[in-house]
Formats: sequence, C-alpha cells, structure tokens
Amino acid sequence: MKRIVALATLTGLALALSLGGFSLADDDEHHERKGYKRPKRLAVPSDAPLVWKEECAACHMLYSPGLLPADAWREQMRTLGDHYGSNASLDPVQEQEILDFLVRASATNRLPVEPSPTAGEPPRISQTRWFERKHHEVSEAKFAREAVGGRFNCVACHRDAERGDFDEDRVKIPR
Amino acid sequence: MKAHWIALACCLSLPALAETEHPLLPGYATQARQADPAFAGFSAERGKALYFAEEQRDGKTMSCTTCHTADPRQAGKTPAHRKVDPLAPVANPERFTDLKKVEKWFRRNCDDVFARECTAQEKGDFISWITGLK
Repeated sequence: MKRIVALATLTGLALALSLGGFSLADDDEHHERKGYKRPKRLAVPSDAPLVWKEECAACHMLYSPGLLPADAWREQMRTLGDHYGSNASLDPVQEQEILDFLVRASATNRLPVEPSPTAGEPPRISQTRWFERKHHEVSEAKFAREAVGGRFNCVACHRDAERGDFDEDRVKIPR
Repeated sequence: MKAHWIALACCLSLPALAETEHPLLPGYATQARQADPAFAGFSAERGKALYFAEEQRDGKTMSCTTCHTADPRQAGKTPAHRKVDPLAPVANPERFTDLKKVEKWFRRNCDDVFARECTAQEKGDFISWITGLK
C-alpha cells in the first residue's frame, strides 16, 4: 500500500512538474505548436567573418544568421544573382566563406524552411509564421511609414537588431 | 638668366598642368580596344550620361541615381534603407582604388539598372567622369 502511494505521489509530482515546466517554458506565445518555436539564439557570433558583414550589409541591415534555418540560407546563397530582384552576386571564394559561416551560425535554428509566398524568390524572414505572430499587433500602416520602410527593416524599430537584440521592451516605432 | 628660371618653372609645373589619368583607365582602355579596334578614348560626358540614364525595371524606374542620388558627392541610400557612402572620390577617397571592388559593383549594378554588363568603354567613360568631379 505504501509503495503504491509513493509511486502515485511520484507520478503525480512528475506530471505536475512536467506540465508546470512546460507552461513556464512556453513564454508569451500561448498558441505555439509544440516543436515550432520562434528563434531565440540571435546574437551575432564574435568570429563572424568581415566578408559577411561587408557583403551582406552593404544594401540592407545585417540579418542575424539565427533568424533562418541553414537550408534557407543555402537557398539565399544559391540565388544571389537574383536576390529579391537585385544582383548580389559574389566571387566563388567569398560565397563559400559566407555560406559556411551562415550554416554554422544558424545551427540552433531548427525551424522548417518556409518558402516565400512570392514565386521565384528565396525565403523571407518576414514571411515566417513566427514573424507574423510576433508582429500581428503591428498595423500595415506602421510598416508602411517612411521612417520604417517595411518589414525587412528590423533596425527601424529594433535599434540593436544587427546585434540580434529584439527585446520587446526596447522597441521604438518611429513616427 | 631669366630664361632659365622660366624654363625651370615651366618644367616643374608640367606635371600639374598635364591631366593625370586615373590608374584604372589604362586597363579599361586595353579591354575597350580589344572589343573595338576603333576605340578612341574615354569621354566624361558619356560617363555622366550613363550615370543619369533611366531604365524601367519591373515597373520601376532604375538609375545609378536611385542609390547614389543625383549628386554622387553626397551620401546615398539603397531601396532597403541602407546608407551608401558617397561615390565620387572627391568626397570619398577610397572609391575607385580597388579594381576587384569596382568590378564587383559594376557587375551587380549594371545588371540592376541596364540588365546587362557594362562595356569596358562605358566603365572607362564613367570613371573618367566620376573621378574628375570636384
């Protein structure tokens, strides 16, 4: 009898802890399906090669590798000749160095590749489910503000986005 | 005695009087001559026209000025809101010093604006113009 009680208590405790633990780990996203969580390891590695910073932030902000899964970065690097309508081609040596870095630095992003709704362009960070969910309270009008520029321009509202800091408490949407 | 001084003054000022060709131009001249034996040198006027030429790309007007503005001595901005340092060497002395970099950006941006590569003639024309801006 004692053994059953002990077992039951143990099971009940384990159940309570695991359920409690689950709800604690499920931060502010109440509707996230298990297995699909927004990327959180977004700090830019200190050993990031200069060629990546120079080539991939000449025309737009520097996007933290953790924002996309490796396969999405592979697709980006495969299609640089037509990079969302622009020619962003590189010489093969630079291309390989950047690709190696991106694959390595995005290893913690285990999300599936989410193809862009626009045919013929590589995946967009701003078209992922988690991005949509995190920004569902931001109106189209706000994204369209000239000071913001669009969904691609994280730095407009997330000042330290290029360091991977998207802390909600530090968001400032310009007028 | 006076004649000697005048001669000396003239000789010393010759380098300043002569137009120093930009170091990248001989290379482009060779290429341009290979492409067309009738190559007759570079023209800054043509280079300027190239810079301001407008093309229609995907329903939008594209030009070098789209990112580099109508005054290449000023900072520009990409459509993705990234600041671009001035293109003219008079404002940004690093410009047009690295051939690899120059070739890379010609390759990308001529494709973006003109949907083709720029010829050696065009590149030389353009460099003649942009490096001569004061």
